[in-house]
Amino acid sequence: MMSVISHWSLENQERARSILASYPVKRSALMPLLYVASLEHEYASLEAMCEVAELIDITPVQVQSVATFYTMFKREKIGDYLISVCTSISCHLNGADEVLAAVEEASGVASGETTDDGSVSVEHVECIGACGGAPAVQVNYELIEGITLDKAEALIDWLRDTKPTVLLADEMQQLFGGQRSFDWGSTEPQGATRPVPAFGPYGSTNGSARGGR
Amino acid sequence: MRVPLAEHDTVSITINGVAHDAIEGERLITAAEKAGEYIPRFCHHDKLKPVGKCRMCLVEVEGPRGTALIPSCTTSVSDGMVVDTSSEVVKKAQAGILEFLLLNHPLDCPVCDKGGECPLQDQALTHGAGESRFVEEKRTHIKPMPVSDLVLLDRERCVLCDRCVRVADDIAGDPLIEFINRGSHVEINTFPDAPFSSYFSGNTVQVCPVGALTSVDYRFKARPWDLESKRSASLVDAMQSSVEVHSSRGRILRIYGAGNDALNDGWLSDKDRFAFTAFRSENRITKPLIRDGGAFREATWTEAIEMVASRLGSYVGTEIGAIGGASGTNEEAYALSKFMRVVVGSPHVDAIVGDGIDPHLAAAVIPRANVNDLDTANTILVWCSDLKETLPVLYLRVRKAVLAGARLVVVSPVATGLDSIASHTVRYRAGSGPEILRKLSRGDTAHQAVIDALGDGPVVALVGRTSITEDPLLPEAVAAFARALPGARLMPLLARANVFGALDMGLAPTLLPGRASTGDEAAVAALEEKWGPLPEVAGKDTMAMLGALIDRDLRAVVLVGADPIRECPDPALAQSALEAAEFVVALDTFVTDSAAMADVILPLAAWGEINGTVTNLEGRVQRLQSSVQPPGRSMTLTAALDGISQSMGSDLGASDWKIINKEIAETAPAYSGMTADYLMFEAGEDGAIVPLPHANQPLGHIPVDVTVPVITDRFTLHLAPSLYDAGALTRYAETLKGLVDPVAVRMHPKDAASMTVLEGTSLNVGGHKLPVVLDGGVPERSIVLPHNHEATKAIAATPTIRVETLGGDA
Amino acid sequence: MTDKILTVRMDAHPSDSHTLSRYLDTGGYEALTKALNDMSKEDIIEEVKASNLRGRGGAGFPMGVKWGFLAPAEPRYLVVNCDESEPGTFNDRQLTERDPHQLLEGIIISSYALGVSHAFVYIRGEYPKSARRLQRAVEEAYDAGYLGQDIRGTEFSLDVTLHLGGGAYICGEETALLNSLEGRRGEPRLKPPFPAVEGLYAKPTIVNNVESISNVPWIMTNGGTAYAAIGPERSAGTKMLSISGHIARPGNHEIVMGMTWRELIFDIGGGIPDGKALKAWIPGGASAPWFVPDEHLDTIVSIDDVAANGSMIGAGAVVVMDETTNVVAAAHRIVRFFAHESCGQCTPCREGTSWLEAVLKRILDGNGRPEDIDLMLDISDNISPGLKWPPAMTTICPLGPSTVSPITSITRWFRPELEAMIAGSEGPVG
Ligand SMILES: Cc1cc2nc3c(=O)[nH]c(=O)nc-3n(C[C@H](O)[C@H](O)[C@H](O)COP(=O)(O)O)c2cc1C
Ligand code: SF4
Ligand code: FES
Repeated sequence: MMSVISHWSLENQERARSILASYPVKRSALMPLLYVASLEHEYASLEAMCEVAELIDITPVQVQSVATFYTMFKREKIGDYLISVCTSISCHLNGADEVLAAVEEASGVASGETTDDGSVSVEHVECIGACGGAPAVQVNYELIEGITLDKAEALIDWLRDTKPTVLLADEMQQLFGGQRSFDWGSTEPQGATRPVPAFGPYGSTNGSARGGR
Repeated sequence: MRVPLAEHDTVSITINGVAHDAIEGERLITAAEKAGEYIPRFCHHDKLKPVGKCRMCLVEVEGPRGTALIPSCTTSVSDGMVVDTSSEVVKKAQAGILEFLLLNHPLDCPVCDKGGECPLQDQALTHGAGESRFVEEKRTHIKPMPVSDLVLLDRERCVLCDRCVRVADDIAGDPLIEFINRGSHVEINTFPDAPFSSYFSGNTVQVCPVGALTSVDYRFKARPWDLESKRSASLVDAMQSSVEVHSSRGRILRIYGAGNDALNDGWLSDKDRFAFTAFRSENRITKPLIRDGGAFREATWTEAIEMVASRLGSYVGTEIGAIGGASGTNEEAYALSKFMRVVVGSPHVDAIVGDGIDPHLAAAVIPRANVNDLDTANTILVWCSDLKETLPVLYLRVRKAVLAGARLVVVSPVATGLDSIASHTVRYRAGSGPEILRKLSRGDTAHQAVIDALGDGPVVALVGRTSITEDPLLPEAVAAFARALPGARLMPLLARANVFGALDMGLAPTLLPGRASTGDEAAVAALEEKWGPLPEVAGKDTMAMLGALIDRDLRAVVLVGADPIRECPDPALAQSALEAAEFVVALDTFVTDSAAMADVILPLAAWGEINGTVTNLEGRVQRLQSSVQPPGRSMTLTAALDGISQSMGSDLGASDWKIINKEIAETAPAYSGMTADYLMFEAGEDGAIVPLPHANQPLGHIPVDVTVPVITDRFTLHLAPSLYDAGALTRYAETLKGLVDPVAVRMHPKDAASMTVLEGTSLNVGGHKLPVVLDGGVPERSIVLPHNHEATKAIAATPTIRVETLGGDA
Repeated sequence: MTDKILTVRMDAHPSDSHTLSRYLDTGGYEALTKALNDMSKEDIIEEVKASNLRGRGGAGFPMGVKWGFLAPAEPRYLVVNCDESEPGTFNDRQLTERDPHQLLEGIIISSYALGVSHAFVYIRGEYPKSARRLQRAVEEAYDAGYLGQDIRGTEFSLDVTLHLGGGAYICGEETALLNSLEGRRGEPRLKPPFPAVEGLYAKPTIVNNVESISNVPWIMTNGGTAYAAIGPERSAGTKMLSISGHIARPGNHEIVMGMTWRELIFDIGGGIPDGKALKAWIPGGASAPWFVPDEHLDTIVSIDDVAANGSMIGAGAVVVMDETTNVVAAAHRIVRFFAHESCGQCTPCREGTSWLEAVLKRILDGNGRPEDIDLMLDISDNISPGLKWPPAMTTICPLGPSTVSPITSITRWFRPELEAMIAGSEGPVG
């Protein structure tokens, strides 16, 4: 059965194996496997869904049904940097709409779109749990709280100019952030490497990661 | 033993101030309906698990903290429950739901197939606010898209009731249609390039409460108020699912499953639903045909009948055989049985075309299981063909029983449709069934888990030949084994339409009408009392008749809806036999391969055009009702036989099906009392199982542990039956003919490796060049081919087969 | 009297409160040792019952009582709800990023008491840092023998699996969460059966919030009665409130309930920035009906007092709006959220929430009609009949009715503003 993913990187095959091993019922592995498949395919493509379906022994449309329920399984290729601007209530009260406009202006694309060069995708999202540091944005799901209009533009320029391969929230917060929801404590050495969500447990971050158990 | 709902306690509930009885655990919406209070609904369906999604069925129920609005479809009744189905709060809520559902619903009722039978339309008329308060833009979708070859989806009309998804997933076990997206973007769809290709797809059309899922065939053909509906039974397979036949102006337009809880629960296979389109095909024979040199010429019935009568009359009765009779009614089968035995004077009759099991086992095994026994069995043993392919609605019933808690043991040479829900599967190499049987009956520890499972009764055993290549005696031995299991009941299986009815009417060399053996002197005497003397020699079965034709012991043969060239295990033998025959008359609806070799072909009326009764695999007799006239000059078999008899100077007494029906009830012991009137006025539409309580069944067959040889050749053959084979009902049905699967040889990768063949390359199998598919599910040293396909139809169904690489021997 | 339980360590040790070594040297895992060595499973459940801790995930159901409902069938599961997606809420994020071992210790003790050998933490997908920190804590705990086989020399074994969400607020609803964890669409299930009877894989399951479980170590160490003694009787213990919006000191504030809203907003929250006036606040997240200064400043911050005034503390998200707030725009933002997050399985929520959003949008775009106010209220009534509190529902889960809160709030408290906006508009186009 693992043969369906024999074209995956060995690392990701190992991840898939350890994900499957951490649930008593294999269908539970659907979402984590789809994240790993999205790393392989750059997004939750139809092929990715078919592979996951085979791994957990359900039909592709059942995977698609689940994948399309959630907003984080992207169904088309997105930019290297996914900028998610929170426009939910607390950020809204603190000027999120203007931040979104600034991000759109600086990147040159509207929310929901990707720049022609494939570098940046912009989306506006519902609450990301950073209301105490509103307005907030995420870059590849790494958080920046208390961003301003100027800093939002600067952020886009920085991404384009320096093309960071690892996005560290602490560094971005330092450069572009302001008010935080709470003291973040010590700095965090891990960050995102891809616009696909980067999670320790699923191993898509820059740091080392072991299986779930 | 598992207890069906109907046997639970009665509770008392109050609906709108009136006390009613209800069954404990029953759903409130059902209890209310029985009490005469219809609660509107969209997602609720009696045969589907409750989901409570549409919220149309909200009612007020009194609880500890005052009244609450709750969905009546997900709520079980409990004693003392007080319900209000029509309070202001309820009405307001229901009107609100209706308005929500109509917000994005197109106003295309005039062109919608559901128009006139649509609860959304009806309720909009009775509850609706009239003018829409919705001034925003409606959701739109691209217009109808096919979700399968048979079904179209119009997403705009969908109310997201989840019925189709539940049918696909829970009932059929084919989760190929699903909800996509979230919130107000939710829609129903299939995966791109993965159509809803289920054998049960048509059921979604039937359960869709609106016009979102429609049948490709029915689309735009009629308005519901033009339809005439008749209750009948499907004759696609021996399950004989109950159906409603909807016709208009002399045409059958669609088939719906009828809610027969004892049988098909309202479900149908797509073949049940769409095979009727074969009978409206151009290929129907509509006039008698007489061979004229190498071709056929049209003839009048008079000419054809006289010719048949004079040719048959020119032989000694015992030089004539009859094959077939399983595709029509009991009355037709009875008439054929009597025609052959009395008018012609021949005992050579067989409704089984060499592809079945012993007729005594099939017709008269004891103790015999009925379909509902599946629901109370703790363990179900399935050792027969892949039910999903051969008896798909029986497959649904087994599935239902298993999902409700029964344990399932599947024994088969190949993977079957039931394997995924089986608690145990036992696979054996084709030809080695007797060995597995020996192991199971001797308690081989390697099969301990299976043996333990079979020890937990009551057991229902479904027994038949897994493939036409399997020894026909193996099911007898399996039945003998199964009979000894605790609380065992047996269901011997044959698949063809009315084959059980035909056997019950004596269309077997060893059977007389009413489940009596030809060896039973009392039964013979009783029948001779009514029919006059019976032939004294022993009858031959189909294979013997074919052999005898070649040996010139038989000189003429009557084919009745049978196509031995395609159906019997030895196509070459059948071909030679029909060539050798001096006279062949075929009574059929199509010019089959065998009919094409006849001297005379008489056009028969088909299903939908005939009245009568039929008997299914559990012995259930139902009425078959005609909805339309037979095309052209086609006639019923009874009328044709009656005419031939008259021309031969005998009176068959078959001028009208009702006369025969009465005669059966008087002559065939197990059918005593089973008249059309009894079915119409006493048994009800769901039919009844023979013998009725007062009737006597002379033959009771106790299976015996016969010794069956194990086949050990280099390669053994499993000719797998498939639903969409190239049989007449598929190949002539415009709706189904495109569904015939491509043919390939399936073999174990190890065998392929030893022969150095690769997936996709071809092999020479029994003289045919066929592409290879590697399948780890096929036992080693076994070959699996689909049965009765154009590409394999000439392959002999012998237990062993020669397999060669294209270069030469392997 | 103690006034902080959950945030003590992170306040004292900002640089490393999340590490095992710091956790251990501040008394960590002592509660576990005590529970495993000195307490029976029943004792632990009794302590939790005695604590009167009411679930922090929003519904406020007493934790000990819920544990008592756990059916005896095996296996049983504990699922920790860290899906935290209600707009305005971010306390679980802080608890998982800053003190993951506190949660983990709570999980281990709870699992032991409940007879669970496999626990899951469902973390919202947008919280990668929470996931990483928790994952590291889990690994540390395995290495140190607090997880895995035969924990600390006992016969108790436990595995913990982290499961990342995919971006769907509704998965915070416990049965939707279980569906999601089973690899299905995050659609709430019909209840009954409740998870304690048929939950994950149809087995008995306890679902608790991160903050709820994070209190367990303290309760084991100090006793349930000590916990119950903190704060008002029916709002025992401390509560992490996430304060945001127009507020001088936004953030998570661990408080003891019982103060007034005035004290909370002006003393703890530091008041409204730039000297502006307070216009309204949401006492418990986007689902909650709004409070206004004239009516509610002296209402007590407690689960029951807020409920008595027609709203809820919920998961503890206080969103403050100053005098400049366009309340129609604010209401639209919240309605839009629920429309976006509706799972879509039941008709009133799927159709009603997006209809409400469309009407509000139209009003904001200058195309409102006078009848739109009654229309919105009637749509709301068809989702939540009678517009009562706690809400009645025509829906499967409370998400649909949550959409109604901002509608009833602005029509109740700010009707003239709404009418004025409509009066100044041109009516619908097209
Ligand atoms: C729409 C909706 C969203 C919810 N979101 C959350 C959530 O994000 N986190 C949470 O702990 N509980 C949430 N809940 C409450 C849970 O259903 C459940 O009551 C809670 O997790 C139980 O934990 P507790 O008893 O410890 O509070 C939500 C409920 C609803 C109806
Ligand atoms: S109320 Fe909304 S979120 Fe809840 S079940 Fe219904 S559609 Fe889903
Ligand atoms: S029929 Fe009950 S909710 Fe749909």
